[in-house]
Amino acid sequence: MNEFITQFLIESREFVEQATEGLLVLEQSPHDVERLDSVFRAFHTLKGGAGIVEFTAMEQAVHAAEEILSAARSGKRALTTALVGDCLACLDQVVQWLDILEQTGEFPSSVAKAKADESWLAAILEANPGVRPRVTTAMQFIPDADCFYQGEDPIARVTALPALLALDIQPVAAWPSLNDFDPYKCNLVLTALTAASMSEVTAHMHGHSGTCEMRAIGPAQSTPQALGLPSQARDILSAQLVLLGHATAANFAGFVASAGMTAVNVLRSCAHAETAALVEQSIGQSLTGNSTEPLRNAIAQLLSPSPPTLSVATAVSGKPDAAAQTLRIDARRVDALVRLTGELTVAKNAAGHVAKLAQEQGNALAGVLKERQVVLDRLVAELQESVLGMRVLPLRTVLQRFPRVVREMSVSLGKPLALEIEGDDTEADKAIVEMLFEPLLHIVRNAVDHGIESPGERAARGKPATAKIRIRAARQADQVIIEISDDGGGIDLARVREVARTRGVATEEELREMSDADIVDLVFAAGFSTAAKVTELSGRGVGMDAVRTAVERIGGRVSIESRAGLGATVRFSLPFSVMMTQVMTVEASGQMFGVPLDAIVETVSVPRAAISGIGAAHAIVLRNRTVPVVDLSNVLGLRETMRDETNTTLVITAFAGQVGGLRVDRIGERLEVILKPLDGLLSGMPGITGTTLLGDGRVLLVLDIGELLQ
Amino acid sequence: MDPQKTILVIDDASLVRLYYRRTLEAAGFQVEEAMNGLEALEKLLTSPVHLMIVDVNMPQMDGLTFLQAVRQKDRALASIPALVTSTEAAETDFEAARAAGANYYLVKPIDQPRLLEFARMLCGVPR
Amino acid sequence: MTIKISAAGQIELTGICSSEEGEVLLQHLLASPNMMVNWRGCEAAHTAVIQVLMAARPRLLGPPADIFLEKWVQPVLAATMHT
Repeated sequence: MNEFITQFLIESREFVEQATEGLLVLEQSPHDVERLDSVFRAFHTLKGGAGIVEFTAMEQAVHAAEEILSAARSGKRALTTALVGDCLACLDQVVQWLDILEQTGEFPSSVAKAKADESWLAAILEANPGVRPRVTTAMQFIPDADCFYQGEDPIARVTALPALLALDIQPVAAWPSLNDFDPYKCNLVLTALTAASMSEVTAHMHGHSGTCEMRAIGPAQSTPQALGLPSQARDILSAQLVLLGHATAANFAGFVASAGMTAVNVLRSCAHAETAALVEQSIGQSLTGNSTEPLRNAIAQLLSPSPPTLSVATAVSGKPDAAAQTLRIDARRVDALVRLTGELTVAKNAAGHVAKLAQEQGNALAGVLKERQVVLDRLVAELQESVLGMRVLPLRTVLQRFPRVVREMSVSLGKPLALEIEGDDTEADKAIVEMLFEPLLHIVRNAVDHGIESPGERAARGKPATAKIRIRAARQADQVIIEISDDGGGIDLARVREVARTRGVATEEELREMSDADIVDLVFAAGFSTAAKVTELSGRGVGMDAVRTAVERIGGRVSIESRAGLGATVRFSLPFSVMMTQVMTVEASGQMFGVPLDAIVETVSVPRAAISGIGAAHAIVLRNRTVPVVDLSNVLGLRETMRDETNTTLVITAFAGQVGGLRVDRIGERLEVILKPLDGLLSGMPGITGTTLLGDGRVLLVLDIGELLQ
Repeated sequence: MDPQKTILVIDDASLVRLYYRRTLEAAGFQVEEAMNGLEALEKLLTSPVHLMIVDVNMPQMDGLTFLQAVRQKDRALASIPALVTSTEAAETDFEAARAAGANYYLVKPIDQPRLLEFARMLCGVPR
Repeated sequence: MTIKISAAGQIELTGICSSEEGEVLLQHLLASPNMMVNWRGCEAAHTAVIQVLMAARPRLLGPPADIFLEKWVQPVLAATMHT
């Protein structure tokens, strides 16, 4: 991959992040001129970059979004939620393309039309005013030209949409003359309005071949007076409320009169004469009563409540990036450095061994050697700490994806959500930051799907309409703590008990003995999943048990605390720094073990006959050198499997200057694992240096070669 | 048919006043001009005005000072809607304009469609 | 056969018209461009068939027997007739 493309990939991703963040903020504060500018510039730069590497498809797609933002900047167009969604969809497409480019080194061939334009939406809504109040989802579906050959019937599919309210069918390209017409090439675009939810529509359209765009439609403004007020009119009206807030005794009459006159004019301009008259009355009331209240109330009533679903506020704390003080380094170089440091540690240990030997043999140099060894020890330890520190990333890297995720869930499920993120500048090892996204995503999805109640239920319980999700990260000694809390209904203990019983996770007696906290912890048990129906969002068979496995694999812990009716908090406790070790797996007596790769010199297959016994010990001559051989099953106290083969496998190791051979039944593969040192009951176990969790949840014991061969 | 609305344009740059005049007259408004706050106050006393478009940066009497003065006059003058314009776009500038009595604030340059949109709404002319 | 020329000289769509009938309908329309299409007996029609009707814009005699076709597709075809 040439260096322009490499650079293009790095920079484009950065600008995509900048644009995404900016768009989400703009959705809440559309008048943030600086932010609008910054987002526009991000898109503009993305376009420029695409031009330099001649990525035409991306240029065009980004250009469409850039036009929307340009219109917003000049005031020609208001940046509505739908338009923000379009710009975000454009960024999604760009990211997909960047991924393909990075993986294959080639520009993606399929060029999807990034229609960052909602004219189709406006057209069908305008054509069907009668059904407008009932519309919750709008969809435009363009089937693939060859979909008939796939056995699809697009019109049948769309007319079967649940709660269909309106349908329009148009040709994509102008119909050719009948002689040239191919009846088996689909040339249609189907646009529909339904009263079904977006997830219902998505489910219904599942498996279609073609492109499908959907929009969630909020209800038309509820208060009849505000029906049909354009956004500029609303802006002017809310500006009058602000103005009235500044009224003082000296300018009271002037402020009230001009604010009132402005509001009346705006309403008249938008053809709401009756409402204008009502506001006029309230001006008189305000002036005679010497209070801004009558007028303020009259204007406030015109501004209908905020749209139902979307409220994603992020309080992202953290120091701004000190750009000048950072370097971009290829992660692989840092990993190489970490490996090198590991090897250096091993070499240092070997040297230490020599120093000890010299001492034992009363060598004159022993003292000096020992001194040098102490210095070397310290330096290498510092180097290791330093290098591991280079692999540390702020959690922001993974947490910054969540505002977007939560926003989409909010739209998709129709639950108003607010996300708070605290402590995202907390740092953790790269390996940890990288594995965190999936588990966190699952937890957040669970919380939104099952924990947080529907708006109706929340209202009935006296909870605020907007549900709150908080992600908080902090460093505590050598651990990184991450908490995800929600103010939903908490874990349904009765339900957990029932599922545990029916799925055989626990017996009736066991359940009776358990405390509430124990019951809550059952959600992490293997084979447990309370999702009655797997919604589009949560769970594709990824249960909480997978989350716990993933976390324990890197040496962390996860737990849940729940308060009935008030919400739940999931707590991750993760090690700050993490050493990856390379091991080779070997099999002995039907069990698998790991051998640290840096102790392995080679593996050989030798005839059994070549291993000669000298008393209890065994040895083999390899390249004119006698190598002691130890049987792994034997030394671990496992039952030896009598094998009837002529040849057997040896793993030749070198440790502390000593060469040895380990006889095993079979050699497995190489793995990079996170080693958890032995603690508690296992720490006395000889021959084992630590454990690690494999991807499938099994525990692998990693051998201590030095101990084994002594 | 609504009687014609009169807009008073207050800006020290003659080019800006010309631009506004052409745009607004073409849309059917009557336009009066003033170069600064003092002149504007005089104009207000002589002819009925339905909207003031006031620039903040003007010599002798700047836009906000002018506006504050107008808002304290008798009801006929004090109630005239005011659209304040400026090249500045900071939150503090919006705040200052509101405190002086601005009914709306637009950042320059203002293109024609936008100017007409707001002029119509603030004057009560159908869109 | 779900698409045939009737004794009355109309292209008749009866019963369930599958995707293959699209080609059949097209051939009939090419051969007799001014013939009316009677879809009163049509209980279902694959998109391919409807697409031919949209492209060819023949005179239509309805309403089709199926309520979905009548409610959602007929209005679309009626609109294209006038273009």
